[in-house]
Amino acid sequence: MTLFDGLSLGFQTALAWHNLLYALIGVLLGQAVGVLPGVGAMTAISLLLPITFYLDPTQSMIMLAGIYYGSQYGGSIASILLSLPGTPSSVVTCFEGHPMAKAGRAGQALMLAALASLFGSIVGVAILVLGAIPLAHLALKFGAAEYFSLIVMGMIGASVVANGAMHRAIAMLAFGILLGMIGTDINTGQYRYVVIPELADGISLVALAIGLFGVAEIMCTPGQSRGGPTTALGRGWRQFLPERAMLGRLLPPATRGAGLGSAFGTLPGTGAAIASFVAYALEKRLSSEPGSFGKGREEGLVAPESANNAAAITGFIPTLTLGIPGDAVMALMLGALIINGIVPGPAVMTDHPTLFWGVIASFVVGNVLLLLINIPLIRLWVRLLSIPYWLLFPSILAFVSVGVYSFRNSVIDVWTALAFGILGAILKRADYPLPPILLGFILGPMLEEYLRRAMLLNDGDITVFFTRPLSAVFMAGSLLLLVLPLFGVLRRRIRGARKPA
Amino acid sequence: MKKTFAAAVLALGSLMGPAIAADYPTQPVRIIHGFGPGGNADTVARMLAEPLTEALGQPFVVEPKPGAGGNVASDFVAHADPDGYTLQLMVGGHSVSGALYQNLSFDAVEDFTFITRITSFPFFIAVRPDTYATIEELIAAGKEGRVKFGSAGVGTTQHLTGELLAKETGAKMLHIPYKGDAGAVTALLGGEVDMIVSAGTSVLSQARSGDLKLLAVSWDRPWPTTPDVPTVGDTVAPGFNVFSWLGLGAPAGLPEEITTVLHDTAVGGLETPELTGKLEALGLLVSPQTPQEFHDMVADQVATWNEVIDSAGIQRR
Repeated sequence: MTLFDGLSLGFQTALAWHNLLYALIGVLLGQAVGVLPGVGAMTAISLLLPITFYLDPTQSMIMLAGIYYGSQYGGSIASILLSLPGTPSSVVTCFEGHPMAKAGRAGQALMLAALASLFGSIVGVAILVLGAIPLAHLALKFGAAEYFSLIVMGMIGASVVANGAMHRAIAMLAFGILLGMIGTDINTGQYRYVVIPELADGISLVALAIGLFGVAEIMCTPGQSRGGPTTALGRGWRQFLPERAMLGRLLPPATRGAGLGSAFGTLPGTGAAIASFVAYALEKRLSSEPGSFGKGREEGLVAPESANNAAAITGFIPTLTLGIPGDAVMALMLGALIINGIVPGPAVMTDHPTLFWGVIASFVVGNVLLLLINIPLIRLWVRLLSIPYWLLFPSILAFVSVGVYSFRNSVIDVWTALAFGILGAILKRADYPLPPILLGFILGPMLEEYLRRAMLLNDGDITVFFTRPLSAVFMAGSLLLLVLPLFGVLRRRIRGARKPA
Repeated sequence: MKKTFAAAVLALGSLMGPAIAADYPTQPVRIIHGFGPGGNADTVARMLAEPLTEALGQPFVVEPKPGAGGNVASDFVAHADPDGYTLQLMVGGHSVSGALYQNLSFDAVEDFTFITRITSFPFFIAVRPDTYATIEELIAAGKEGRVKFGSAGVGTTQHLTGELLAKETGAKMLHIPYKGDAGAVTALLGGEVDMIVSAGTSVLSQARSGDLKLLAVSWDRPWPTTPDVPTVGDTVAPGFNVFSWLGLGAPAGLPEEITTVLHDTAVGGLETPELTGKLEALGLLVSPQTPQEFHDMVADQVATWNEVIDSAGIQRR
């Protein structure tokens, strides 16, 4: 079957009315759970899993996939409007999206996020279709050493995420890494700082993210004057569409984001969160006015949105081609396939072409549906902001508590979110940047895991990071990232020295 | 006033629930388990909840309490009332916890009522097809040098199975822990480790497509869909028989009538062709046991794992 036949079969399948219906149910449901902080795609999919026993496998996969990327977009809505990241990857969306909303441009931010999501998904699908099998085999070449070096590079690259003083950012990064140390040591199974059994698997990432970004934001806001969002709602949804010039300006960041997202998505276990962090950092690096980031810069919204959607889709590459789930949601979907009697793996493409191509085509169809649904909804979402604080904030806190609790059915997580909310508010007032905490928390444990595994595999030989070719490339990249700013400083010094002469 | 009275009667009724077992259940029943959504425990709990709900007329609600390898859930259930309204979907890791953890707030055997085993399943020893053709070759290589052995993590049944294999055959194997079977399979495919011990769900499809080769199965008989893969016991370690399981449990002291009701209903539901087929698709064989058999099996496994942990020098937590 040629690529073209495959795709046309796929679109035939995805556009059949009953499949379209399931895609619609999926994205609607996904968006709803994505908006509710803490209730992620995981919860929704696991609740729906028993229903899929009675559906045909193509329909169930289309619906589950719809929930998956629908929740990604739902997460962006909550992040932009309320700075409530429902998923770790939508934390980055808060950085620029929420300032835009505060400046009265919530509708525009939502529209840009939807367009960037669609763009990222289309690029992701293209890469999935063209290169799934070679990419999957390339991903297998990534051993512990390669992952370690890649994460070092990512960490250095993304450390520019913070605004302001470098030493404060580094302190927060270190704090995040320390928080990530809590839990079970992966090589010996020993507990570290586990004061209560609920901490055995570490602090909940969702509770931490929602606490630091959402709850802290709520705590800080009443101190400020309301003067914010007064988006005019008179001119219909067209007012939210970006102008042509802006679209032209935003295409390169969206493309870079999609590229990064596709690369990270393919590697099992790294995922959308890192992709969006790195995409944001890259835009800030490349920008001629890095100082304007954090104040509602469109590039910083579009690139990570495009990245996390591309990553969400290329995340299916290891799942579909190797039968190896990229993350927990993928594992769930694999389970749904197996229960339906379909063995995931390279054979799916040839044995069940309708399923394979139908699901892939549904990624595009579903994302278009998502955009169409949201065009009228954006006005409604924006109106959320006109609810007075005394009503809005208590209800958000209640939702947050329910959401965070339902994630693991654990009260500890609710206290965790609250504690980090207070801490976040204090740090914010003291002008310490919060994003590096999350970056350290996500990347620190991965860094440790791969470092120790590489050492175990190579008898503690540290040169392995420089002798394995792929790893050496990443190490060279990290070095370059460290040295480049120094050149900039030197050049400015030299210029400065010449001036008086 | 009327409402309060009605509520009081209702509350009293539910308190008296265990006493009048004939009426069981009169309110929704929770099935707790200790793993994230999407794992076998969650899927099987939801599959089992359906026939129970249907037959007993009260909703059986699945409630994950993930954490500490299932110990958070076990701790919760061990200290719940044995009134039949808090049940637990237990996994083979329950026996491992009983041996591996020193400071548990519960006893893995004494603090539970064992209702019935639901399924059992073996582990597979898998390699890349271009490396070893038989389990004997792998063990021979292990005796000469070090075979790198990947598992789903420190203290998982997969890890302990590999350690037991090494102990019984005298092979030397360097253990590399990953996060879950999926991580170990990826590492094997990519050449980072030479051998893995994994549940069937994660390797059967790759074996069929020829990306992996299954050398042996860990229990005492071949797996139904792979009749030509020999057992470890018949080849390199006589008497070797390791398997994991899923089962239904409750706090210790569950009234016998309730245990019987739950046991009979669960087994009746499991033995329908529909559920049996779905479980088999997940690589799980339906294999119910009486409460006594189930209890004895867990006690037995705790003893075995204690020996393996001591001989392999694994640190207890």
